[in-house]
Amino acid sequence: MAGVRLESVYKKYPGSDKASVTDFNLDIQDKEFLVLVGPSGCGKSTTLRMIAGLEEISEGKLYIGDRVVNDVAPKDRDIAMVFQSYALYPHMNVYQNMAFGLKLRKFRKDEIDRRVREAARTLEIEHLLDRKPKALSGGQRQRVALGRAIVREPQVFLMDEPLSNLDAKLRTQMRANISKLMKRLETTCIYVTHDQTEAMTMGDRIVVMKDGFIQQAATPDVLYNHPINLFVAGFIGAPAMNFITGQLVEEGGAVRFRATGFNVEVTEGKAKVLRAKGYIGREIILGIRPEDLHEEPVFIEASPNTVVNATIEVAENLGHEQYLYLNGLGKDNVIARVDGRSGLRENQNIKLAIDMNKVHIFDKDTELNVFEN
Amino acid sequence: MNKTRLQQLGQLLNTSVVTKVLTEAEWVRQGGKKHPEAGQILQTPDKCVVVTRVQGSELECIDIDGTLSPLEAELLGWAVKQNSVRPSSGASDLERQARRLGEWIQQSVTAGEWRAEVPDRMELRNRLFDGMVPFLLLCEQLEDKEPSYGELEKTIRTFLADDTLLIPLREHEWLVLSSDGILTEADSDGDEMLGHEETKELLASLTEGLHELITSEWGGECHIAVGEPIVPSENAVRIVATLRETIFLGRKFHVGMQIHLPWLVHLERLLSGIPETVRSRFVEEMMGRPDLFTDSETVATLDAFFSMDCNVSETAKKLFIHRNTLLYRLDKIKHEAGLDVRSFNDAVLVRILLLLYKVTKRK
Repeated sequence: MAGVRLESVYKKYPGSDKASVTDFNLDIQDKEFLVLVGPSGCGKSTTLRMIAGLEEISEGKLYIGDRVVNDVAPKDRDIAMVFQSYALYPHMNVYQNMAFGLKLRKFRKDEIDRRVREAARTLEIEHLLDRKPKALSGGQRQRVALGRAIVREPQVFLMDEPLSNLDAKLRTQMRANISKLMKRLETTCIYVTHDQTEAMTMGDRIVVMKDGFIQQAATPDVLYNHPINLFVAGFIGAPAMNFITGQLVEEGGAVRFRATGFNVEVTEGKAKVLRAKGYIGREIILGIRPEDLHEEPVFIEASPNTVVNATIEVAENLGHEQYLYLNGLGKDNVIARVDGRSGLRENQNIKLAIDMNKVHIFDKDTELNVFEN
Repeated sequence: MNKTRLQQLGQLLNTSVVTKVLTEAEWVRQGGKKHPEAGQILQTPDKCVVVTRVQGSELECIDIDGTLSPLEAELLGWAVKQNSVRPSSGASDLERQARRLGEWIQQSVTAGEWRAEVPDRMELRNRLFDGMVPFLLLCEQLEDKEPSYGELEKTIRTFLADDTLLIPLREHEWLVLSSDGILTEADSDGDEMLGHEETKELLASLTEGLHELITSEWGGECHIAVGEPIVPSENAVRIVATLRETIFLGRKFHVGMQIHLPWLVHLERLLSGIPETVRSRFVEEMMGRPDLFTDSETVATLDAFFSMDCNVSETAKKLFIHRNTLLYRLDKIKHEAGLDVRSFNDAVLVRILLLLYKVTKRK
């Protein structure tokens, strides 16, 4: 087993004046499940392909364990990859597909057999070993692709959107299976996805990327509760965090946030930081997660200084919870996530209390989170 | 001698250096000694020819545009001789035979003799009479990561079948011929006869597997084209020409794709043959907004839309976006270019425009 370290890694393609990956520094611990997440074109797959050796590193150093592997061919890096298009070998049955990598490396037959059967048992595909890929379902094929990687017993697993070809139900199931499997195998895993739910549920640590730069690398909990900038705050969480542009004013010894439909008091702890950093009187962006807007009377009574009034434009009932698209707060719709049994309807006027302990304040120019920088 | 070494030699001598093939008779006619060996040099008043390898009556040479001093000539001859000893001593009989066949195929393609049959003098001829699946590999790994013939041949044989032939053509380019029995093996139903579409589907997935295998072993960029089964003794030259053209068209029109299928580039082949002036006029006439395709999001959206046979739901899934986002993007294209890709006729025009745009952009 081994960790992976990237030191000032850059990727520049010939003919392009902009780097696809810029100054990428990351230390991935041994046995860690690290997820690279970001919108398409952010450089996450390119980074993974550089680690795999499928792409040249233009600048910087890549370590697997203690060894610099920039110039090492993929086959000698002791890694195993699983991709979205898990190209199973159509002329080989499942057993042969899983055994192929070992056969190529001249493993003994009994060792190949042991590893294949063990992986098949782990993935619950023992009954499929004689089948050809054509006779398998999408989920089964995906498990064979995983099996092909597992039998290699590599130092590092690399996975690039391995669940994208599966339907929603199967994806959820496989998500849990892969997490369990990686915990059991205790092997470093680097996983690329565009799906923040996958990232949040699977990763020990998540790296959020945008335009080739790391935005933030942290645990799911830290990313959600302490996003470093506006991009991370908006990218992590569904429905996304609400952003309202407004002004901070000092009034009667307290700091208040004012914007269309808002005149709410900032908590004393946050006010101190804002005063110290000179944000009073300035325009800022307030970030509120949908679940931090409360319609329960008990909350409204307890927080009279943070209450806002709004009209429900659309109410989406998902059963266990309800998304309210609200008018009258800021320039755009604000979304609140409330209990599915609240019984709220479209066009209804409601009062909501904001949990001001949970709000984030972003500098309007730098888009950095004032409390996290 | 590979391209990098040729370039290095050219830089050292500060002149143009190219490779060429001469027959022994031509070599003697130009003033060279009989029975030439690697490292022998022929100097004329304005150029210098060095034999790098002797293949029967054919001589692989490098042609230097200029003359060398006696010391330079001696040193270069010595270096070439040392270099020539290594591969031939390490090469197996099979490699030598495959190289000879590859050279013949290459010469026939260059001469436009597409119908030429493999001549009797080729030792491998007797292995080319059965139906075989042809793959053309163009693998551009870094020089230090490039596999040797032996490594590549062993890997491909392990993957496809024991009787698979690997034939080196040009630098980084190989023809792979594998028994067509592999298709029956791949068919899970075990039918003796495969349908045409089923064959194509299997060929595509075999190619994907081969591509994954090669890139995960050696990295780098690897383009592969595959053809339907042939009898190579009669069709080797033709299929190399066809698959080369397929890779050329694939790389020209579909940057980023590395698996190229001849049956998917018909339109590209047609467009490639249209004169530049006619193409430009068509683009000018059709495009309401010449900067439409400079937006990478629009290009990616249209590429995905066409690859999914204009199916909105499937395209949205492929692009990981909401269906409504895709509809918004398609409406935006309609608004800006005046072409609605959800209607068949406009879709045809936009598809052609997009292909032509990619070629123009790359120029």
